[in-house]
Order: sequence, then structure tokens, then C-alpha cells
Amino acid sequence: MSEEQIQILSRLQQNSNLSKSDILLRGLEILGEYYSLGLDQPPLSLELRNLEAEAMHHAEALRQIRKKEDAIKQVIQELGSVDKAIDKYQGSKSALIQILLDIQAQNHWLPKPALMWVSERLGVPWSQIYHIATFYKAFSLTPRGRHIVQVCLGTACQVRGAPRLLDRVMDVLKIKPGETDHEQRFTLTTVNCLGCCALGPVVVVDGNYYTRPSLKEIKQIAASYE
Amino acid sequence: MARLSSSADLKKLRQEILSQRDPDRPCVTICSGTGCQCHRSEEVVDAFVHQIENLGLQGRVDLRCTGCHGFCERGPIVVIFPQQICYLGVDTKDVSEIVSQTLIENKLVKRLLYKDVETGQHVAYENEIPFYKNQKRIVFGSNQLIDPKRIDDYIALGGYFALDKALFEMGRDKVLQVVKDANLRGRGGGGFPAGIKWETTRNAPGEPKYVIVNADEGDPGAYMDRSLLEGNPHSVLEGLIIGAYAIGSHEGFIYVRQEYPLAVQNITIALEQAREYGLLGANILGSGFDFDVQIHRGAGAFVSGESSALMTAIEGRVAEPRPKYIRTAVSGIEGKPSTLNNVETWANVPLIINNGADWYRSIGTEGSKGTKIFSLVGKVNNTGLVEVPMGTTLREIIFDIGGGIPNGKKFKVVQTGGPSGGCIPESLLDMPVDFDKLTTVGSMMGSGGMVVMDEDTCMVDVARYFTDFLTQESCGKCVPCREGLRQMLNILKNICDGRGKEGDIELLEEISEVMKDASLCALGATAPNPVLSTIKYFRDEYEAHIQKKRCPAKVCRELITYYILPERCQACLICARNCPTGAITGGKHLIHVIDQEKCTKCGICFEVCPSRFNAVVKLSGEPVPPPVPKITKPILLVEDEVIFRESLRDWLTEGGYQVTTTGDGEEALKVIRGQEFDTIILDLKLPGKDGIEVLKEAKSQKPSLKAIIITAYPSPETATEAMKAGAIDYLIKPFNPEMLERVIAGVTEAKAEVTPETNER
Repeated sequence: MSEEQIQILSRLQQNSNLSKSDILLRGLEILGEYYSLGLDQPPLSLELRNLEAEAMHHAEALRQIRKKEDAIKQVIQELGSVDKAIDKYQGSKSALIQILLDIQAQNHWLPKPALMWVSERLGVPWSQIYHIATFYKAFSLTPRGRHIVQVCLGTACQVRGAPRLLDRVMDVLKIKPGETDHEQRFTLTTVNCLGCCALGPVVVVDGNYYTRPSLKEIKQIAASYE
Repeated sequence: MARLSSSADLKKLRQEILSQRDPDRPCVTICSGTGCQCHRSEEVVDAFVHQIENLGLQGRVDLRCTGCHGFCERGPIVVIFPQQICYLGVDTKDVSEIVSQTLIENKLVKRLLYKDVETGQHVAYENEIPFYKNQKRIVFGSNQLIDPKRIDDYIALGGYFALDKALFEMGRDKVLQVVKDANLRGRGGGGFPAGIKWETTRNAPGEPKYVIVNADEGDPGAYMDRSLLEGNPHSVLEGLIIGAYAIGSHEGFIYVRQEYPLAVQNITIALEQAREYGLLGANILGSGFDFDVQIHRGAGAFVSGESSALMTAIEGRVAEPRPKYIRTAVSGIEGKPSTLNNVETWANVPLIINNGADWYRSIGTEGSKGTKIFSLVGKVNNTGLVEVPMGTTLREIIFDIGGGIPNGKKFKVVQTGGPSGGCIPESLLDMPVDFDKLTTVGSMMGSGGMVVMDEDTCMVDVARYFTDFLTQESCGKCVPCREGLRQMLNILKNICDGRGKEGDIELLEEISEVMKDASLCALGATAPNPVLSTIKYFRDEYEAHIQKKRCPAKVCRELITYYILPERCQACLICARNCPTGAITGGKHLIHVIDQEKCTKCGICFEVCPSRFNAVVKLSGEPVPPPVPKITKPILLVEDEVIFRESLRDWLTEGGYQVTTTGDGEEALKVIRGQEFDTIILDLKLPGKDGIEVLKEAKSQKPSLKAIIITAYPSPETATEAMKAGAIDYLIKPFNPEMLERVIAGVTEAKAEVTPETNER
């Protein structure tokens, strides 16, 4: 026995009140168990590492699945509101435009899953829905800003200087008609008559009318919408 | 609400409503149409509610939020019944005064009354205001008596009695006959007789038959349908039910633009209330007649106002017209007979039933009966909705009712009929307006838009605008309209941009002819009208654009330049500060100049230049005068008083001048010998040498030198002497430094303009 082993043995003897031979025997026993289990074999530790890697892989997959689940839940929720819109018109095919208007009003645009769901539920071909969504001005196939800014370019407003007003609004918002800013705050659109010709030229933000605003007023109006 | 199941029930209901109302009790009506809402009329309503509660006047004063009164220019409008005192442009601040003065003490609040432009007299009562006085408001007049959200208001005025009469007294055939006899023509633009349309649908084979309200008011510049539907939805609905009864239809549609949210809301409420009373739905008023209505919101397409396109939109498809070898009255929605009429047409029906065909025929002209609502907009003083008998002249409408052109400008044209109509020049102002007359002069009734344009309007630009609008809105189904408009737009854009060439006008006319003949629907066939009518009446303007590259009205951006008149410019910096491209140069005391290279012609300088200066002008077809030469050579300032010299030097340096100073006459002459100067500013009393002597000597050395005398001791003698010696001006201290600057710039002559307090420096 080495010097070190003798020291360990004597310390064990003091602590456990066992004889030297008992301790040695017990040690041999443990050693035997260790070998019988094959814990000294390298392939097992490798396996353990493999198992760990596999577990991590599964965990990642699970996360992905959860993410997808959330996304699906969200879509289902959205489709729920689409369903409501469809049910409001008893699923009638002729109400297609009305249903799309409701979806547009809710989201400010027409998300693709919603349109596909409408197509499936009403039995209207996808192509026809696309035709409608691109034909009418009220619909947008891209997300719009939180606030819709409309500049009226109807005749009466035109005569009273709407093009210059549009220039100013473009300067302030830094976007062109049809565009949305990077923060998705404003979408600028032009319309051909809002029917308040006596007050032109007008800018409408989210249904609030502003008549004949000056450059300064436009800046103030823009600042008042978050 | 109890369901009405007989004619007697309706009459009883009206009696009940009337018995609860006291016609003598004051009633405040506040216009809450879209126009007045833009002027924050809702806040005015709140203020009235508040004020009435505060003063404990509930039950003694009625409050009514009505639809559009028509005088949108001057909103929010408040009319106090029974006297019909009309207050215009009412603000929340005015409310307490109106309540305390008018409602309690029965006095007028003068400053809110209409003031006659010519006489300066105040007009208290609505029916005396020229805008209203010259109208005949049989259809539109009820708007101000009705809260559109309360069916009882409509019934109180005798509403739904025409339906009652039709159902129980007249019968289907009689109703149809009366409408035919009245010669009610479609208000949507075409002017097709409604009675004949109804009869066609009634006699056409196929069930069900449909009736439709066309409230897809797509014409820019027209909003009477909106105001009727918002302000008096039941009148439209009653007309529709009567029509359905005469035709034998049990299903109706109201097609209304979704851009009109208030109209959608009010007509929805109207339908619900009518259903609750049993005026709509099964067994109307116990007559056995069933009829119900659906609302279909339009998603925004000009072409969907066309009858066959509108019907395909109701079917849930893209609104494209179809060839009408067979009329929609025979084959409309789903191929079934369908009668489509405009909002205003339907609203006329109850009046005809109540008052009879003879009464209706007594209003209007030979071919066009009744009244027409026009939306009078653009460059006119009293913009708003105007209802006049057919046959009223344009001059009466624009000048007597509309109050003429604002800002003393000259009338140029009136554009009627929207994008399908044309421009009518001044020479035709005395023409009576009806369906047929308008068509003969190359325009049309359309839905009744009347856009007044003043001398600042370019006719080629107007044609371009409408063609641009129609190009965007063309559904693209037929080639003549789709391609014709595109080519016309290209040509017009070229003309406006100064790239027009000989033969363009003829080419426009040729394309127009093809479009007229070959387009699929009426919108395509009438699309060239704006171009043709402007060519017809304003060919010279087209020619000026093409041949001389000149825009006579100074509108077309590429053909105009902005220029600052040096003699008017006050160097106030307002335009320079507002210029988005920094194209305006000039200092605080320097005449401003536009750098034409940098100018984007946005026109903001033109707008912001104070009207008392009016220094910014537009030029077209003439060369831009070269800018006033800037002082490049330095100035010599000879002045012995140190503080004055230094401050004047600073002031001039700040203004961009290069200044050399000296306080001695001899010294000054030495400096002039060694250096080039453009201007010398000379004090008269100088050490070394007298100012006059310095001037004489300097002038003899350099005759081109500009000399300006400044002195604190003016006398006619020295002044004459100085001028004789060649001084260009003689300023008396203290003087306005800006005056000195203008003298230096050679822009003006000082006119002894001495303002002591301005020389602060």
C-alpha cells in the first residue's frame, strides 16, 4: 500500500470504528459493482452524451411546435372573427364584398389566411377573391399603418388647392400616397371625394376631418396621433 | 314600439306624437351633417345639452340634431324654432349667449346672424337669407326638421302617409300611373323616366323582382345623395317601398358607399325602426304586402355607380358593366328584373304620391319636372347644397344663391355632371338648367355636382384632372375606354408639361369620337366630355400651351416660374424660411431672389408672401428677368461719429455687404484711390475735409461711384449741392437702415422717409 492509501485507511478507521479488513472488503465490493456495471467502459459515456444531445434536440423541436401552436392559435382566433363576419351574412356568396369589408375594417388589411378561409367557407374560387381584393379601392393586401390619412383629391378640393395640400402632407409624413411608414404609424391614401366638398381641401385621419390645414396645423395633427 | 297593423294605427300614432309636441316650445336644431361635423358641431351639441341642464330648462326647450341643412360653408348651423332664427358658424363659446339671450330673453345674437355682403344688414330668419330664399326646397327642406335617428320626427311631418295612401287608396296601377304622369326622371344622371323603368320591370317575366337605391355617389364634387340619406333616410325608404309596391317587388337593396359611414349608420337605424313599426317586413301596415331591404356597402369603385356594374357588385362580384342590349330593368340582379333609381329619385316619390302628378308637373320645364338638388362647390362664396326648380339659370344658382366668386375673382366656368360632364363657360350662364339643355351644350346633369371655377383655373389642367381620374377608375373591361383614356391622358400630360405638339388637339378629338361610339357603358361613352367641352370653349388655351408653351391661367407647373418682384419685396425672409428646397437667397436686408435651378415650383413662397406685399408672382411663357445685380464691389462708409459708424457697419456687414470705414475726409480720398468701390456713404460734416468736397473729388476720380449722403443737419442748400455733385440720394439721420439698404441696392429712391424710432442700432 502506498503512503497515501495508508493515511486514508487510518482516517476511515477512526471515523467508522471498523476494522481494517472490513474496510478493505467493503472497498473491494464497491469496486466489483463498478466493474460489473461496466461504468468504466467508454461507449456508455458516449451514449450518455448522445442521449443528452437528443434530449436537447427534442426540447428545441418542442419549442418550435409551441411557436407553431401559438401561431395557429392566433390564426384560428383571427379566423374566428372571419367566421363571425361570414355568419353575419349567413354564409351567402353574394355577401363576399361585405365580408371582406368587415375583415378590412377589423385589421386595416386583408391577411392571406383570412382570405383563404373565406374562399373555403363560401366556396368562392381564390382567384375571384383576389380579383375583388385588387379591384376595389377599400381593400389592401399589405398591412397598413395604425392611422389612415386620406387626402381628398375630388374636383372641389382640387379646385381649392388639394394637390398642394397633398405635397405638404407628404412632406410632413415623409411617405407617398399608398405607402406606410416604417413604424407602421401612418398610411397615406388619396380619395376622390369624401362628400364634404364645401369644406375642401380636406384631410381625414381615422375619420376625423380637418379642413384647409396649414403646414403648421398638419404637423400638429400628425403629432397628435401616436 | 307597437307594430302598426293598419292605416288607422299609423294615423293614431301620428296624433300621439303630435299631442306630445308643443309647436310653440322653442326648439334648437343643430346641423349634424358631415359638413358641420367637420366644424365640430358635436361639441356644440354637447355645450347646448350642458347649458340647458345647468339652467334647468329641460322640458321647456327641445334639442334636435338634424341632417345637413345645405349651407355647409357657414357651419355649424343652429336654427331656433319656431321663429327660425338662423345662427351661422356657431362655436361652443357662443352657446351660453344663445341660450341666455335668445332662448330666455328672446333677443338676437347679432354677430352670429347672416350678414348681407352688399348692404351689411343682418338677416335673422333663415327664409330671408339669400342662399335659402332663392331656393325651392321640397325634397331637401325637411332635413332640418328631422332627427334622422328618430322615425317619429318623420312621421310627425306626415311621413309614411304617402305609403299609406298608395297601399290603401290608390293601388299598384294608380301609383305607377301617377309617377308616369308626373314625368319623374332619374336624378342619377341619365334622366330616364322612372315610371317607364318601373313599368318595364313590372311587366318583365321572372321572379323575384328587385328594387335598388343607388347611393354610390362616386362623382367627385357631388354629395346631395349623401346628405339626403344621412339627413332624411326615411323619405328615401318610403319612396323605395312605394316603388316596390307598384312594381311588385319584395326585396330591395340600398347600395351605399362605405366612404359614407354616417349615411350607412343612419339608414341602418332607419331600417330597424321601420321594421319595428311594421312599415317594413311582412304584411306592411296590414296590407298584405311584404317587402324588406338589405344594405350593401360599396367598396370603392367609381364604375359601380353604373347600373349593371352596381348589380354585379350586389351579387358579390367585381363591379364591371355589361353590354345592355337587354336593360337591367328586365335582367338585372341574378338575371331578374331590377329597377335601380338614385337616392334623390326615390325621395321624390312620396311627394308625388302625396301631392299628385299635376302639382309635380307644375314645377320645372317642359321636359324636366320637379326640382333638382345641386351641390354648389368650388370657387363660390356660398358653397353647399342647393335645391331649385328645373329650368333655373346657372347665373341664378351661382350668383343669386351662391353669392358669386370669392376674393373678387372672375368667373370662368362651371363644371357640371362630374367626370362625365363638361365645362360650361360664362357665355352660357343664362341657360336654364335641365336634363336636355345641359346635354346640348356638351355637358350633362349627372348627379348634380356643380364645381365653379374662377380665372385661376387652367382648362387643360381640368381636362387632365378628369381624364386622370377616369383612367384610374376605368374598370378596364372594354378597350375604347381603357386604352382611349390612357392615350388621352398621355397627350394631356404632355400638353401640360410643355411637350404638346401640333395635331394633339385633333388627335384628342378623334380618340373621343371612337370612345363615344364604341365604349361598353355610359361612363366610357361620356368620359371624353371634359376634354371635348374644354376644347370646344377654350381651344385658345390648348393652343397657348402647345404653341407658345404658355399656361394662361398660370397653373401648369412645368410652364410657370415663380419670380419675386424686386420692387415689391420687403426682404422679410418669410418666403425664404418656408422654401423647402432653400432656393430663395437674400439676407435680412437683401431683396430675395429665387434660384430657378433649385426651385421645385411648389408654390409655397407664393402662398406665404403677405398679401399686402404680393411680391411673389407667377410667370408663364415669358423669360424670367435676371435677378437684381447683387452688390459685389465693396462699400466705403465715411462717418466721424464712432458709435453710429460702427453700428451702421455691423448692420451692413450682417446684410452681406463688404464695408470699409473711415472717419476722415482726406483719409477717405486716399482709400478710394487705392481700392475699387461701388458705393460711398458719406457724412457731410467731417474732420479734414467737408463731405461735399470729398464727394466732388471722389466723383471726378471715379464717375461711376454711387454716392449716398447721410446727414444730421439737413438743409435745402446742402441737399441741392450734393445732388448736383452727383449723389444718388440724401438721407437724414436718423433714418431707417432698411431704406438705406434699398437705396444701395438701387431698388428704390428714398422718399425722405424718416422714421426716428426705427434706428435702434
